[in-house]
Amino acid sequence: MNTVLSRANSLFAFSLSVMAALTFGCFVTTAFKDRRVPVDIHVSKVMLKNVDDFTGPRERSDLGFITFDISADLEPIFDWNVKQLFLYLSAEYATKSNSLNQVVLWDRIILRGENTKLNLRDMKSKYFFFDDGNGLRANKNITLTLSWNVVPNAGILPLVAGSGHISLPFPEKYEATKSY
Amino acid sequence: MLSVFKSIPTHMDYKGQKLAEQIFQGIILISAVIGFVYGLIIQQFGWTVYIVLAGFAVSCLLTLPPWPMYRRNPLPWQPVAPEASGEPTQKPQDNTKRKKHK
Repeated sequence: MNTVLSRANSLFAFSLSVMAALTFGCFVTTAFKDRRVPVDIHVSKVMLKNVDDFTGPRERSDLGFITFDISADLEPIFDWNVKQLFLYLSAEYATKSNSLNQVVLWDRIILRGENTKLNLRDMKSKYFFFDDGNGLRANKNITLTLSWNVVPNAGILPLVAGSGHISLPFPEKYEATKSY
Repeated sequence: MLSVFKSIPTHMDYKGQKLAEQIFQGIILISAVIGFVYGLIIQQFGWTVYIVLAGFAVSCLLTLPPWPMYRRNPLPWQPVAPEASGEPTQKPQDNTKRKKHK
């Protein structure tokens, strides 16, 4: 500690260790928090087409179009350890050929500081709702769920399913539009 | 140009080094506690980091330059013994620079 450089060295190393301990403390204060919030999903229109699936084998597959509304208040999730939320809307259903299908229809990133009240109306899906085959037609039960990934400043990244989901049947015929 | 920096005396005596270490550890710990509590209250971790950085800056100012309060207990060197053969006597400053590593 006789020269400026050695004093600066021990000072800086001590500050970094203290900073690491503070970050751990930040993680501990929010580690066991429940990140679920009630979510309200409403579907206004469903359409079904049977087209050539360009991403898979050369057969015609079912392609669904959904118009939906989402409303949720995500304010309670954000605290000092949350950097951003990654939301995604997924559809889950069973067909004759596959017992479990999950398709992501729409996603969005919400940073801390942005508006946390979601009130989306008449949203179209961002990604194609292709089925592996023809399982969407006359499918009685397709469940839409809004889930999110919490990206923290320090610690674990929990994957949380929202508390609201909606099940809806698909139309029986192609190019048919069903309004709810 | 580097020789200008090397010729500035930056030493502290032992008690001064201990005092400097206690001072910067205390300042950084206090600013860490204040920063943690403030960040927890307003729910923004950025402010915790800012407060700890401010504590770091204050302790840099207080402990890096060799203020006179760190030189109050100089080592009691023996007086220079007169050499009979007329060799040049070593100054205590040179002894300090050679014997201690830090």
